[in-house]
Amino acid sequence: MGSRNKILVIEDEENISRMVSALLESNGYQVFQAKKCSEALMMSASYVPDLIVLDLGLPDADGLHFLKELRKDTVTPVIILSARSTEKDKVDALDAGANDYITKPFGAAEFLARVRSALRSVRGHLPGRKFELNGLSIDYDSRCVFVRNVQVHLTQTEYNIVVFLAQNTGKVLTYTQIIKEVWGYPDEGSIKKLQVNMANIRRKFGEKPGKSSYIVNELGVGYRMNG
Amino acid sequence: MKKKNSILNNIIRTALILILTFLLSLALQYVHIEEHITTLFVFSVFLVSLMTDGYWYGIASAVIGTLMVNYAFTFPYFALNFTIPANLLSAVIMITLALMTSALTTENKRQQSIKAESEKERMRANLLRAVSHDLRTPLTSIYGSSSVLLESGNTMTQTQKEEMLKGICEDSQWLVQMVENLLSITRIDEGKVKIIKTPMVVEELIDSVMVKFSKRYPEFDVELTLPEEIIIVPMDALLIEQVLFNLLENAMIHAQEMTQLSLSVHSTKHEVIFEVADNGCGIEEERMKALFTGTFEPEEGKADTQKHNTGIGLSVCATIIKAHDGKIHAENLKDGGALFRFTLAKEEEQDGQQK
Repeated sequence: MGSRNKILVIEDEENISRMVSALLESNGYQVFQAKKCSEALMMSASYVPDLIVLDLGLPDADGLHFLKELRKDTVTPVIILSARSTEKDKVDALDAGANDYITKPFGAAEFLARVRSALRSVRGHLPGRKFELNGLSIDYDSRCVFVRNVQVHLTQTEYNIVVFLAQNTGKVLTYTQIIKEVWGYPDEGSIKKLQVNMANIRRKFGEKPGKSSYIVNELGVGYRMNG
Repeated sequence: MKKKNSILNNIIRTALILILTFLLSLALQYVHIEEHITTLFVFSVFLVSLMTDGYWYGIASAVIGTLMVNYAFTFPYFALNFTIPANLLSAVIMITLALMTSALTTENKRQQSIKAESEKERMRANLLRAVSHDLRTPLTSIYGSSSVLLESGNTMTQTQKEEMLKGICEDSQWLVQMVENLLSITRIDEGKVKIIKTPMVVEELIDSVMVKFSKRYPEFDVELTLPEEIIIVPMDALLIEQVLFNLLENAMIHAQEMTQLSLSVHSTKHEVIFEVADNGCGIEEERMKALFTGTFEPEEGKADTQKHNTGIGLSVCATIIKAHDGKIHAENLKDGGALFRFTLAKEEEQDGQQK
């Protein structure tokens, strides 16, 4: 069992920490628990986890502080546990390099799906010539996108958005991150512009609202390519 | 800023009334019925006291009025003379009247604000009572079931255990929705603070709502009707998402024998209309009136023990839509079932081009 994925759970609430750990352990992951920011930094350095589950409200320091410290030298994927009232914190954490967030309270299935998706994202998408995922394929050379083997005609902007999301499969990208990548600079109407493009992409993919199987809409935060 | 404005407002009102009175008095004098001029000024002082805040404007207008009458309209004309007892008497009458009227109006305004405050307090108390009542039922079941599982779990059959756990899971999910609703209300902060609206593409909003809904009710399919063109509405997206979710969930819980649930969006020139319709049992007439206030209380004895009883969800909807300056309304459909409709203002065209 040496190949088990190691997950570091940083959460000061005893009950939640126990629940998350039990859930992960019963699904075959090796779990370490930390309750404080300082402890967590030490543990992540010595155990080198494959994934970190981070609660934003820690007793000794802000979870965001931990994230920034961590991102100085590692790219270990991080899933944020957050309460709904701290929406701005979510965006801040994602902008600071977190991969995904899950809002408390959450169910077991949803949580495990996020964990799997975050772990997959590191195994990565080699910058090859093709992207393949559940029937969505992108040929980078010819700049062609296919959904279930049917070619989809995207505009330049739409293509750029899809590629950026695809290259970060499993990771929530904030509005700001996508806008910076696609348009280079954010302006007042750019979130609106992005949403219009996303609505068009969904239509071209032939998906009805609420039934998207590729791009997940995180209202008020950003978008994520399902993986 | 606001205070400055109200002072300016008061001064303008006072000046306008006095000038009008003065002009009218000039006219009266012109046709030689001077004896009513004093009465006219007394009346104007009364008006000023009535229409301004506090004592000072009334008193000031009384003094100015006295001076005007004295100077222009009583003998000797166009000179001040306080030696005539009649002039002095009218001055005293005007000032007394100003003081009394101001005192009365000020008191009246204070009473009204107290009344409004206590009304708000009463609504809050109502809501709190309803919420606490609603929280107790699922909490009882969660607490009860989990302690039973802890204490005598090993003597129970697997099915029994599973049923209890399912109950716990369902009740907690319901609590989650309740807390979401309460959080939404605190975001609006009793309607005092304007919510922050950002332009939102309606299709993206519906997408998010539908994802949430199918997570909660995977077995049910909602019929969607969306307009062809892309519509942009300025809103607090999370709050409107909550409204739509509440309306859909409301149908799932209350519309008995429902087989169809639809969500449709139409757009007119200036507004967007959202409609949630079901073909269930409809809404009882007696409930209709208090539907959005959360104050409906079933008659004693009839009180069903169902936990999803009070209309917290709907009153949250009403609060959110009101904060967006929109309208919400419910009706029963001819062919059975209920329809909830709310409207939001669209983004202005030239506004969109500027941005």
